[in-house]
Amino acid sequence: MKKKFMSILLGAAMCMSLLAGCGNGAQENQTAASDSSAPAQDTQQAASDGMEDVADTQQAASGEKITLQFWNVFTGSDGDILRGIVDNYNKTNTDNIEIQMDIMPNDQLQQKLPASIATGTAPDFVLFGVENLAPYVSNDSLEDISDFWDVTGVDKSNFLENVLELSHVDGKLYGTPMQYNVSYLYWNKDLFEAAGLDPEKAPATLDELAEYAEKLTDPTKNQYGLAMPSNVTYMQFLWANGGDADDPATNTNLLDSEENIKTLTWLQDLMVNKKVSPENITGPEADTMLQAGQIAMYMSGPWQINGLREQGINFGIAPCPAGSAGAFSPAGGCSYVIPKGTEESHKLAAYKFMQYWLTDAVLKEWSQKNGFPVWSKSLMEDPEIQGDEVLNSISKATEIGRSYNLGYSLASQIDNDVMIPMFEKVMTGAATPEDALQEASDAMDKVLAQ
Amino acid sequence: MTERKGKKKRFQAQNQKSAYLFIMPSMIILSIFVFIPLIASFVISMTDMNIFMKDVQFVGLKNFTRLFTDGRVGNATFNSLYFTLLEVPLQIGLALFLTVCLAKNNRYSKLLRSVYYLPFVCSMTAIGIVWSMLLDPNMGLVAYWLKQTGIETIAFLKDPELAMPTVIVVTAWKGFGYTLTLLAAAVLNISQSLYEAAEMDGAGSFHKFIHITIPGIWPTISFCIVTSTISAMQMFDQAYVMTQGGPLNKTETVVQYIYDRGFQTAPYDLGYASAISVYLFVIVAVMTFVLRKFILSRGEDADE
Repeated sequence: MKKKFMSILLGAAMCMSLLAGCGNGAQENQTAASDSSAPAQDTQQAASDGMEDVADTQQAASGEKITLQFWNVFTGSDGDILRGIVDNYNKTNTDNIEIQMDIMPNDQLQQKLPASIATGTAPDFVLFGVENLAPYVSNDSLEDISDFWDVTGVDKSNFLENVLELSHVDGKLYGTPMQYNVSYLYWNKDLFEAAGLDPEKAPATLDELAEYAEKLTDPTKNQYGLAMPSNVTYMQFLWANGGDADDPATNTNLLDSEENIKTLTWLQDLMVNKKVSPENITGPEADTMLQAGQIAMYMSGPWQINGLREQGINFGIAPCPAGSAGAFSPAGGCSYVIPKGTEESHKLAAYKFMQYWLTDAVLKEWSQKNGFPVWSKSLMEDPEIQGDEVLNSISKATEIGRSYNLGYSLASQIDNDVMIPMFEKVMTGAATPEDALQEASDAMDKVLAQ
Repeated sequence: MTERKGKKKRFQAQNQKSAYLFIMPSMIILSIFVFIPLIASFVISMTDMNIFMKDVQFVGLKNFTRLFTDGRVGNATFNSLYFTLLEVPLQIGLALFLTVCLAKNNRYSKLLRSVYYLPFVCSMTAIGIVWSMLLDPNMGLVAYWLKQTGIETIAFLKDPELAMPTVIVVTAWKGFGYTLTLLAAAVLNISQSLYEAAEMDGAGSFHKFIHITIPGIWPTISFCIVTSTISAMQMFDQAYVMTQGGPLNKTETVVQYIYDRGFQTAPYDLGYASAISVYLFVIVAVMTFVLRKFILSRGEDADE
């Protein structure tokens, strides 16, 4: 019997080990490791502090080398361009700064970074999407860099106010903007022509969007009018008809409205009756189908442009279509941030790289190679930028950018627990728009009550 | 069981010391990676710790009361049970059927047993990616074949009702080779004289299977049932790769929900995620206990 008990215990332990492996194990090991190595680290810290003093004094004289650890999430083709810019900076900078870059998927970075900040092993600076800022700030894990403009002497007024605003939380600057983007409407001109539509005219209203999407859908050819991935939110539709999800400033639930019912009913009709999109596709699948010419229209960010160019798709870029209340598009962007606990000298070195990024030459290279909108006022005057066809159509589409829950610490929970399930239920026809909205509104109350 | 009776020899104190020395390396590894995290997750489940590990406070059983009002925990539990109840019988049934066909030591059977074992060697992630590409309704090979034969395209992994059965079939496909190998080894160990005696008594192949093969390999079958039930209850990677828990959370298992709460959705609530893993631990422990009680004891009876 005793043996049996032991084997049950072992069996149970065995089954937990998997859990531990992907659950708390990693984090637990971190704490364990940090506990045991704490004294060692302290002494190291002391040693390096000492060194740093020496370094600081020497820096003026001989320019002691500073190595910066830099994590980012640029796993796509834009990562190569970023690497090129960083390599170039390493070669050309006169401050003897070397940046060591580590690219990882966003999921992975979001798992590693908080633990590394807590254990004092964080990189010197990080580049990630501004939607991630809020949870870090509310846990006091990022450096307040409001002094960036004064220290570096970069002219703040040269940049678009709304872009800078994305890196602020509660009025304090926590990141310097790296890029800015909204969702655009991409359309395949060849498919438009084949369906008898004007290839140079994108749908301007939601009604036109639905009408075109229906015309462009042809299941026998495996061709769809409008790709609508199921794991994202469609704020642009809710906003277009005057609806909204929540007000982060006052913690108010704004879901339950006639406007939203109207939008969701339209959306369900489009997806369930007209079947203009492949069922339940993911974002990457939609990207592939767009590049394969199986999709006529798709709303997505600037990162599509490179892939479409490579595949030789004849595409156009238009603003998101308007509803009864106007046209809007959810805005986003990436910022350079500095984790809490970064040494002063490294922080200043990171400032220098951020300053380098904000020069017109670098911003221009980034915008031209990747098709990201320009947000530096002096760069907008550049004749090459003004003559760039893609950047021109983008700057028009970018004007309707609107911030959605950015800087709000509940944003990711609202997306994952309220908005995405609601859109999914409506788009698959699993619930009527009224029921889905009611359920989402209840879920929203629960999240906001926290 | 015969082992226990045979080893009544007393160990010398000296021997015992060196025995502890031998198990030391694995005990150290087990402690660091299993026992300490196990205890830690019990402790963390009673705190409000998030991934930033700041201002951790003891909250008692709050996470557990929240767990029982959370619809997604119920949904995930249902999905895990659904997966387990279909996957385990399918995998073991398939393995058992093929065992009967392949329990010979000729070259052909050996080759087939190795071939069936191949998917088990591969990583679930790779298999998941390949299958989701094959089954993709817009770009996949299977959709193309279905179209060629004039059948309407089936969105295996995208259809709320079909997604879980598809994941189950893929998992069974990956795992049955391992079960088959274990069962075949057990079948080959059954003494031929039993079969000869049965034949003399006029037993057909069906009766030989029911009355000799099954009781002969029962301990192995029950081992397979227990281990595959435990791993089925912890199903994560295949659904994570093939469906990400969708559509409509129909393939979201308990482990996936734990991962979602702890690492995917801010504020990365490790306390709550740990509470769910303790809840899963209890379910699995109870299931293991019950299975062992009923299945293994039957095996022991059959043995004696």
